[in-house]
Amino acid sequence: MIKLSPKLSQKLSYLFLFLATILAIIPGVLIISIIIAKGWSVFFTLKFLTSMPTSGMLKGGILPAIIGTFLLVIISIFFVLPIGVGAAIYLNEYSKNNLFTKIIKLAIINLAGVPSIVYGLFGLGIFVIYLKLGVSIIAGALTLSMMELPVVITTAYGALNSVPLSFREASLSLGVSRWKTIVHIVLPNAIPGILTGAVLSTARIAGETAPLLFTAVAFYTPHLPHSIRDQVMILPYHLYITATQIPNMEENRIFATALALLIIVLSMNFIAIIARIYFRKNRKW
Amino acid sequence: MVDKIKVKNLSCYYNKKCVLESLDINIEQNKILSIMGPANSGKTTFLRTLNRMNDFNVNYLRKGEVYLDGYSIFCMNMENLRKRVGMLFAMPIPLPMSIYENIIYAPKCLNIILSKSEQNIIVEQALRDASLWDEVKDRLNSSAMKISGGQQQRLCIARILAVNPEIILFDEPCSGLDPISTAKVEESMIELKRKYTIVLVTNNVKQASRVSDKTAFFLMGKLVEINKTDELFVSPKKKQTEDYITGRFG
Repeated sequence: MIKLSPKLSQKLSYLFLFLATILAIIPGVLIISIIIAKGWSVFFTLKFLTSMPTSGMLKGGILPAIIGTFLLVIISIFFVLPIGVGAAIYLNEYSKNNLFTKIIKLAIINLAGVPSIVYGLFGLGIFVIYLKLGVSIIAGALTLSMMELPVVITTAYGALNSVPLSFREASLSLGVSRWKTIVHIVLPNAIPGILTGAVLSTARIAGETAPLLFTAVAFYTPHLPHSIRDQVMILPYHLYITATQIPNMEENRIFATALALLIIVLSMNFIAIIARIYFRKNRKW
Repeated sequence: MVDKIKVKNLSCYYNKKCVLESLDINIEQNKILSIMGPANSGKTTFLRTLNRMNDFNVNYLRKGEVYLDGYSIFCMNMENLRKRVGMLFAMPIPLPMSIYENIIYAPKCLNIILSKSEQNIIVEQALRDASLWDEVKDRLNSSAMKISGGQQQRLCIARILAVNPEIILFDEPCSGLDPISTAKVEESMIELKRKYTIVLVTNNVKQASRVSDKTAFFLMGKLVEINKTDELFVSPKKKQTEDYITGRFG
């Protein structure tokens, strides 16, 4: 075995750790810079964001895909927030710490690891076929909600759990009921954490394709959606088809679509970070 | 002498381990009863049993009865009981809101009062009774987390007073306070006994002798001795009590 001097081994390990860090961030930096470099020229022709695709997607814009992505995300968050926060409140505040609760918690953690295509198949079976919603915005939003729920429950549970027990005791000892203690003391102090978790999980599903493949998306719609029973175009799927299914596609247009998707997701993450900083500063304990 | 609370043969267990054994105690109205004893003698458990704060703990079990004005507290509605039996914790726990909101919080939740002027009256009265009014009257809307520890503890007293209870339980209320804050809290306790019945748990022997009318000595989950404070400190009947108050152990 080669014996290295302490100084040299210190330097080598430092070098290794530094390289590992650089390697970890290179892909991210490359992705963002290449997408911006190739996409910005088309992206900033304003019509690209505000018009319908024409001539078999070779010309025109990506407006319906942007609107579709937003619609799905917003509708799904309407389902997810009340159910997820409600379940988190039950688990953290009311449930007894018995075997049943432990199984539920374990199941929720495992649900977060289920592959998204499996959620897609399940959504196809239950929403599209069994509930006869058809391939539609509402079926897609419900499928996304199922996927988001475990994440939202887990983050909301963590946020509720971080409110000190002493606050609850102080409130209860004054004769205030458990429910009012939750509404007036626990929830207001947990809301920053709950909202941050919700925004982050929203950002995650904005880029999802697999759960929507069978439940919501259309290759091409000639008009904007009229109702929640319509099919929609979404950005990630639009990106996929323009990149692989359409011959003679202008490369810059593909990258401009990717740039739009990237901006949506990153700005949501950015909002979450800003919100967290803001709430931390205002936290009184 | 009216007995406000009667405790009959009360035993408490955590994880099936006995922490309080067949306790019989009567607590007189408008008096201060102090309970002293070393750590792990069951003082706090006894106090938390009196307003049923331990009921949420799944490992906790109790036998025996506690009567408040002749009615069993274990048959009462928990919220009503806690409204009548307030509790002050060892560490001051201001809620993360303003001083004013801290005091009006419970009355609001309990739907006791409605109009703004009535609220103002309640806040001022509670703060005066807890001898805190003069110190905070100009900054009622600033955060309760920003005042000093002693002021926070008196704010917590004021918060209890705003609900208008009959009994106040003090759980080592001065353990985190400096001597001057302690003196202020003790002063307000003596003021309060005219209107309320007070049970004070303390591991400070001198504090028990300073403020209480009656003193009980707990050791290892058992009541060793209870007597009028003057008599207990001058001529304790049990050897263990004497050892404890003279500082030979504890």
